Amino acid sequence: MVSQVLTAVRARPRREREEEVLVWPDLVFIEFISAIIFTIALLVLSAFINAPLLDRADPNTTPNPSKAPWYFLNLQELLLHMEPAWAGVIVPTIALILLGAIPYWDRSNAGQGKWFASKDSIKITVWAFCIASLLTIWLILYDGAKHVEWTEDIIRGTGLNSDFTWPTWLDWARNLRGLDTGINWDDLSFSLGGFTIFQDWRAIPLGIPGTTTDPWLLNLNFPSFLSQQVVPVATMVGLPLLLVGFTKRKLGWIHSRRDIALLVFTGFIAVFIVTTAVGQFFRGQGQELRPPWDIVVVEE
Amino acid sequence: MANAERPPGKNFNDQLYDLLFKNYLWQSIFRTGYPNTPRNQMLVVATNVFLHLHPTRIHRTHVKITHTYCLGGLSFFMFLGLTVTGVLLMFYYVPSVERAYADIQALETNVRFGLLLRNLHRWMAHAMIILVLLHMMRVFYTGAYKPPREFNWVVGVILFVLTLLLSFTGYLLPWDQLAFWAITVGTTMIGSAPVLGDESKFLLLGGFEVGSNALIRFYTLHVIGLPLIISIFMAVHFWRVRRDGGLARPL
Repeated sequence: MVSQVLTAVRARPRREREEEVLVWPDLVFIEFISAIIFTIALLVLSAFINAPLLDRADPNTTPNPSKAPWYFLNLQELLLHMEPAWAGVIVPTIALILLGAIPYWDRSNAGQGKWFASKDSIKITVWAFCIASLLTIWLILYDGAKHVEWTEDIIRGTGLNSDFTWPTWLDWARNLRGLDTGINWDDLSFSLGGFTIFQDWRAIPLGIPGTTTDPWLLNLNFPSFLSQQVVPVATMVGLPLLLVGFTKRKLGWIHSRRDIALLVFTGFIAVFIVTTAVGQFFRGQGQELRPPWDIVVVEE
Repeated sequence: MANAERPPGKNFNDQLYDLLFKNYLWQSIFRTGYPNTPRNQMLVVATNVFLHLHPTRIHRTHVKITHTYCLGGLSFFMFLGLTVTGVLLMFYYVPSVERAYADIQALETNVRFGLLLRNLHRWMAHAMIILVLLHMMRVFYTGAYKPPREFNWVVGVILFVLTLLLSFTGYLLPWDQLAFWAITVGTTMIGSAPVLGDESKFLLLGGFEVGSNALIRFYTLHVIGLPLIISIFMAVHFWRVRRDGGLARPL
């Protein structure tokens, strides 16, 4: 008898019962009202803004710029900065796997069911959002060689040198591809004991002689590999790690795995938003960076 | 007090109530009376197939709008709205390269409310993606993925991907320049996958370029294949919300 009562109590503590409300009406009505608000809002939106319909599809006329649907513009943006295999497939796959893996890594159930429950979580979120957005914008500007353009403009503007152009010895720092095209890789072959190492940096034989020669895999184009794969991937892995390290050591805001998850997830959201917005609003013809009012689509 | 003083016999309201809700027809459909007593309110939720996704009672913090902002429910509501408008759109649309574009034009000009129908479908699709993303952020920032809800978070990530795929497959159907080139850009990205890239692209397009095979494949995936799959995952998602103890709550 006593044990029965105890189990019953444990199953549904009395105090918890008092904290509960009935789903009808307290939840069902909220759902109903929110559904009605959304229905009306979308009806009004649809009455005033028409879904786009351009000319009939024509495989022979390419619009410039051609853009993917907006939710894939983040990937299309990555495509401009690295090897397509990374941007289009590997990075999003890894991102989704990591996203799904969050609860298997952050296993503590402390602070669940409460907005920003951990001690410094709001600070971490704001900080991660700001720094990740700024870094992403900076990286996009760098790869768009905007610093070159602006430096030239400023130096010309001061009147010191009205013909100033970015020095050729700094060509490697024009943008990411500068690591490939801005360095004279042929001069970099060196000899060791009469044996020339890497005579041709653009076709480093990795394969076993006599086997099939896949030019991408077995004859490594090192400059392209460096600028389109090593540096972008190192950036995508390194910056989050640096950010976690800095926030932990210098700012002292990281107290648990949850805090690391907050930092990285917020950074991911920031990068997602920035790259999507840049792709949608700031990419003009030839995917050049342009202000939104200067974007014209031409058909070629 | 009032009850004690009430004379025997029913007043008009009670008679009306009995007439409306205690008749044979009503009871055959709903089993309970109008949900105006706690007993009937719980019964209506428990016995109605649509409402029984809910528990009969819920913690009071969870009905605060600011806890969930209804984001998950609204994502589902967008799916329902997209299904309704999508079925109506199918009346007017034939997925062939010859007819698709003309059908959309005819829908916009010749069909009463056709333009509104298409606009609704498109904006609801965009709204669904945004709502799903916001829902994911809500779940993350409230720590609601934590044990025992780990797997439901994974199901949620899958639902996010399926939502994107549903939108992406629908994007081609109007067969205009926007659709054609967006899908060309998108599928070129898929084609750049390191191992099975070209094969995946060929499988998706039914050829090397976006053409009539791609249109029929995207259409079929959009109107039946992906909706079936996402429905299964949604069923699992909602079921697991209940099985894992409802919405997450501080310990």
